[in-house]
Amino acid sequence: MASISIRNLNKTYPDGVEVIDGLNLEIKDKEFIVLVGPSGCGKSTTLRMIAGLEDITGGELAIGDRVVNDVQPKDRDIAMVFQNYALYPHMTVYKNMAFGLELKKVPKDEIDQKIKEAAKVLDLEKYLNRKPKALSGGQRQRVALGRAMVRNPAVFLLDEPLSNLDAKLRTQMRTEISKLHRKLQTTFVYVTHDQTEAMTMGDRIVVLKDGKIQQVDTPENLYNKPANIFVAGFIGSPQMNFINSKVTQEGSKYFIKIDGCTLEIPAGKNKNDILSKYAGKEVVVGIRPEDFHLDQAFIEMAPKSLIDVKIDLTEMMGAEVYCYGKIDDEAIIFRAPSRFRPKEQEEIVVAIDVNKIHLFDKETTESIII
Amino acid sequence: MLKKSQLARTAKKTNRTITFWLLVGSLSVFFPLYMTIMIAFKDPSQMSNSIAGILAFPKSWSFDNFQQAMAITDFWHTLSNSILITGATMIVAVIFHSLIGYAIGRSMQKRGYRLLYLYIISGMFVPFAIIMMPIVKQTAMLGIDNRFGVVLLYSIFYLPMNLMLYTGYLKNIPLSLEEAAAIDGASTFKTFWSVIFPLMKPMHATVAVLTALGTWNDVMLPLVLLSGTGQNTLPIAQLNFQSQFGTNYNLAFASYLLALIPMLIIYIIGQKQIIKGVVNGAIK
Ligand SMILES: Nc1ncnc2c1ncn2[C@@H]1O[C@H](COP(=O)(O)OP(=O)(O)O)[C@@H](O)[C@H]1O
Ligand SMILES: [Mg+2]
Repeated sequence: MASISIRNLNKTYPDGVEVIDGLNLEIKDKEFIVLVGPSGCGKSTTLRMIAGLEDITGGELAIGDRVVNDVQPKDRDIAMVFQNYALYPHMTVYKNMAFGLELKKVPKDEIDQKIKEAAKVLDLEKYLNRKPKALSGGQRQRVALGRAMVRNPAVFLLDEPLSNLDAKLRTQMRTEISKLHRKLQTTFVYVTHDQTEAMTMGDRIVVLKDGKIQQVDTPENLYNKPANIFVAGFIGSPQMNFINSKVTQEGSKYFIKIDGCTLEIPAGKNKNDILSKYAGKEVVVGIRPEDFHLDQAFIEMAPKSLIDVKIDLTEMMGAEVYCYGKIDDEAIIFRAPSRFRPKEQEEIVVAIDVNKIHLFDKETTESIII
Repeated sequence: MLKKSQLARTAKKTNRTITFWLLVGSLSVFFPLYMTIMIAFKDPSQMSNSIAGILAFPKSWSFDNFQQAMAITDFWHTLSNSILITGATMIVAVIFHSLIGYAIGRSMQKRGYRLLYLYIISGMFVPFAIIMMPIVKQTAMLGIDNRFGVVLLYSIFYLPMNLMLYTGYLKNIPLSLEEAAAIDGASTFKTFWSVIFPLMKPMHATVAVLTALGTWNDVMLPLVLLSGTGQNTLPIAQLNFQSQFGTNYNLAFASYLLALIPMLIIYIIGQKQIIKGVVNGAIK
């Protein structure tokens, strides 16, 4: 059993800065959980508190059924993979992996067997006698994983383990780590600032900002039902477009106005008539870049949700084009299949998929409808 | 951006200046060394009062001076004393000063340790002459006016410099290594011996060489603590060549050359590591 319970966790560094403020999180056994957020938001601090490398200022941290606030890192049954790998430079790959086990007084032949096993899984068999210096970045990363693996921990903690690798290797290691998680069947807590990593790897994702949890959910839900403007903007690339607008009411129907175009909000989205509170008020409309449509069929189908866009710039990505433009002086970006590549400086008509729009409260930034 | 031709030109220019100063530097080292060797191998009768006589090659190369010098200084006995004292100081320096450097260097965010660091470093500014008499008295009272006392005092005299070197070098060693070791289950002590100490190797070499050079050549401390105990070190024994009536340069220089050999060996052994240490600090 290696669930992790974080209750009301607080961290104030000696210099008086409160980095983590009342964090609550339940991580399930065998879950792959990703902590994601912009740099400086307290991801590493949280992970290091779980590892026991950083004192907990307040609150409670339990691994399994045991409160571990005051337990030494080595007794927490965890393993950690560091961003810079933190391999012992003067030891061979073999010795790097063996070090922890030797300290635990594991018999030599058992150590040997564990290392051979890990080396096989991680494709490191040929490099066991090399020093870390003589390995490539990807290989070092795998040694760091191996060192964690042989300890057979209940919890794996990984702090931006891929950020020192080049793009191609990163994609490759991403799948390898996911595979490793499936194989090992243990709890993984993975820290990254990269939303793509978070989306592709996590069972659930914790979005952090300024030491506070914004939302905890599956990748799908984070993407489709972001809780606030921050999450909506952070998850997804290119970013969601945010346009200031106003809600108007006519009978039981609600509309938003964008650049002279009036969009009707589908009744199905107005759960519990929440929009009645916002009639006449300013809101922020969120539209994902893929919810603009250029093809004729869609435009004919949705004559009421057409809007003029002046294209500034297009970026060819291969299968699709990123189009940067302006609606009523608000910069937007949308993606289109590359056969529809608009010309730069052209004025074009696009259709907005009103079923996919999000509305956010302008004051609280909380999501109103999704 | 610099053009290739520009690059080449600047490179050449720097080279010339550096070469010139290197030349001046090596000449100023080489000349006394040359003189020492010439005089050491010369019979005293070949020394004329002219510069040419001193600088000329000996008519016949002879080891007589060396033999005599060894006899006068009771060479093997004083050599083993010197080696004992220097060796012991070196070992103490590498083991304990690195340990102290680690303890203080990794706790510098705490005020107490910062003050301790400054306190120890300030020891560098205390001239030996000022504390010489008290030391003589104190060591006599404590009964450590012997080789042990000399090693003990050297270990303290070299602590400030070595502390500075070790704490400086520690900044090259990432903290995450220690955190990894903590997770692996190593105690602070184990972390030091298994991770930090081996990684400090280039600095060990530097510290060992600098400490060895200093203690090996030192006259004052052994002179005030050891004279009369029959436990002379080489520099003290070499004082015998100077008498009221003059100095026997041929014997003295032969003896100096002999005394040079162990230091040469230590330097050659440590050299590779030292360069590594310097480069490491410079490039990282
Ligand atoms: N040892 C420390 N002392 C003081 N402040 C720190 C320390 N470590 C981190 N911080 C601060 O805490 C905040 C969160 O840091 P961190 O957890 O490393 O962020 P992240 O990993 O999300 O980028 C940052 O503002 C950082 O400056
Ligand atoms: Mg971080």
